[in-house]
Amino acid sequence: MDLLPQLLIAGVVIGSVYALAALGFVLIYKSSRVINFAHGQIIATGAFIAFALTQKGVNFWLAGLIAMLATFLLGMLIERVFLRRMVGEPIIAVIMVTIGLSSVIDGLIHLTPYGAGTFSFERPALLTGQGIELFGLPLSKTQIAGVLMALGLLGGFTYFFNKSTLGITMRAVADDQMAAMSVGTSVERVFALAWAAAGLTAAAAGVILGLMSGLTLGGLAGIGLKVFPVVILGGLDSVIGAIVGGMLIGILENLSAGYLDGIVPGGGTREVFPFIILIIVLLIRPYGLFGTKEIERV
Amino acid sequence: MKKTLILSALVSLSFAAAQKTVTLPWSGAITGPTSDAGASYAAGVEDYCKYANAQKMLPGVTLNCVTRDDQYNNANTQRNFEDFVGNLNAPVFLGYATGGALQLKSVIQETKIPTLTASYHIGIIDAPDNTYTFLPVSSYSENIVALLEYIAKKERGAKVALIVNPSPFGRDPVVDARKAADRLGLKITDVQEVGGNNLDNTALLKRLESQGAKYIINQNTAGPVANILKDAKRLGLLGKMQFMGAHYTGGEDLTKLAGDAAKDFIWATSYYLYDEGNQPGIQLVKKIGAQYKRGGDTIRSVHYTSGMLAAAIAIEAMKRAGNNPDAAGVYKGLISMNGSKSFNPGFAVGPVTFSAKDHIGAESLRLLQADATGNFKPITGAQRSALFQLVHPMK
Repeated sequence: MDLLPQLLIAGVVIGSVYALAALGFVLIYKSSRVINFAHGQIIATGAFIAFALTQKGVNFWLAGLIAMLATFLLGMLIERVFLRRMVGEPIIAVIMVTIGLSSVIDGLIHLTPYGAGTFSFERPALLTGQGIELFGLPLSKTQIAGVLMALGLLGGFTYFFNKSTLGITMRAVADDQMAAMSVGTSVERVFALAWAAAGLTAAAAGVILGLMSGLTLGGLAGIGLKVFPVVILGGLDSVIGAIVGGMLIGILENLSAGYLDGIVPGGGTREVFPFIILIIVLLIRPYGLFGTKEIERV
Repeated sequence: MKKTLILSALVSLSFAAAQKTVTLPWSGAITGPTSDAGASYAAGVEDYCKYANAQKMLPGVTLNCVTRDDQYNNANTQRNFEDFVGNLNAPVFLGYATGGALQLKSVIQETKIPTLTASYHIGIIDAPDNTYTFLPVSSYSENIVALLEYIAKKERGAKVALIVNPSPFGRDPVVDARKAADRLGLKITDVQEVGGNNLDNTALLKRLESQGAKYIINQNTAGPVANILKDAKRLGLLGKMQFMGAHYTGGEDLTKLAGDAAKDFIWATSYYLYDEGNQPGIQLVKKIGAQYKRGGDTIRSVHYTSGMLAAAIAIEAMKRAGNNPDAAGVYKGLISMNGSKSFNPGFAVGPVTFSAKDHIGAESLRLLQADATGNFKPITGAQRSALFQLVHPMK
């Protein structure tokens, strides 16, 4: 079978996980204009909560749901304790708070038995056994489940922002906080909900990543920064952008690994190539492919 | 009566004064990248050091056991080294990462502090500035040359690909591997760099398959290798390709992450493993681990044993230095470990031998293969690579 379709499929698989991980950035930025640099650590927190529960004998799927609920509440708590006090402060101060948070959460995870170690989920029965073959590329059940879970959540949030009252309210707050407040919208409630929803998606991403590549704090937390180009490419405030950006980065990584690594000594072009594309896109569209174009009138 | 009491108090005080405190320091990644290995290594250093105090291994000396987290950050390693040597007067330095060890080489040469690291990068003991640096066990390069020798015995002319970490740690053995492959009649088809975020290896494995590479040697950490193995299993390549790797690729970490995809992986290491309970060194590992209440995962980790070996070598060198161990004494103690005076605490598959020219400790290594349950079983006895010294003559 030709390599190209196989590389494209592999790119979509990994791209959907990137998109899900990137969704957390978008949800928070979309509602509050804050870039959360602690997102990788929240991904790791969700994954380790699910893992700890499975170690205690909790069913994998239930453990995943509990982890999502836990990070939903964690997101809400972070907003309540740290971010709410920062409303109206310079954006750089808010960013520094999230960088500080990443260190604090990192340190707290190190106090658990999971901080410095290598772990792997015991695969649930549903995800064992033969997967399927698509255009000559075998896909494992874990990969299929990961893609379906990611697309389900991404589709759900797209619908939520476009059709539900709350989603539209969140978009209104993102567009103009003052205007939203003047019509009685609780901006604080919207911020809390955005952080909570980002926490929920983080746990989902963490569990999928844990299933695919194992659980190490560095690997899980690192994915938070790895998907940063995804959100910049797609547009920081666009759920569709996160999906398209994730898929594009995933596919570009695989195409460069498939066609350029053989030419470049040592290979490893998959780490660089997406950034080259990112720079080109940003030169043409600084707000990303689907991001809102900020127009400032002076 | 009063005189007796005063006399015994004076005697006690003089004994206390005679008891010297010497710092045994370690700096490495307890948190941050590679902390999965570093945390167990630190525990091994710390526990053996405490055990040495409890056993009064050094008459007249109490060890101040210090393990400090440098988060795999060279600047932190350097700061820790300066503090250990400048403020705590440590006569020896136990390091961790390749980067930190390479960065400190000239400082170590200048300060004349004998140093042992958890990195087995041959460049650490290559000239220049290599008088005071020592590897506790065989180098990554020798691990890989031994794997190539194994391949050549099985299949002359075989095609081999190398997958290495994009760092000095990963890249260093490539030159020696190429030279060895030439001499062994093997063809290295590709050298690819793969880092820790390799979530999908389809493209890499498909290309290696198209090149006809049958043996894939990894110089990396267990995480990236596990992902490669899982993808190879999914792509149906496990039977077609034989995956292998140097010290940090294998062991419990690999089987935990890769599961049944680790089956048949061939691993080169100088250490005995937890499952070899008949070995005195492993019995000691278990005893010390239980004594200091370490978790099962820590005690099972080969990195816990590795930390113990590094500490044991340093303490033995101090012992040989007499009851006033300074850096010069420790250096002399280290280079005295040869011939009938070689040191064999039982953690590695051969004795630790050093001299002014020989800076590799336990030079012997074994090749082990993972079975269906994920346990590594030796497929060779303790051996040295016949070719390594020819492709990498030490200066």
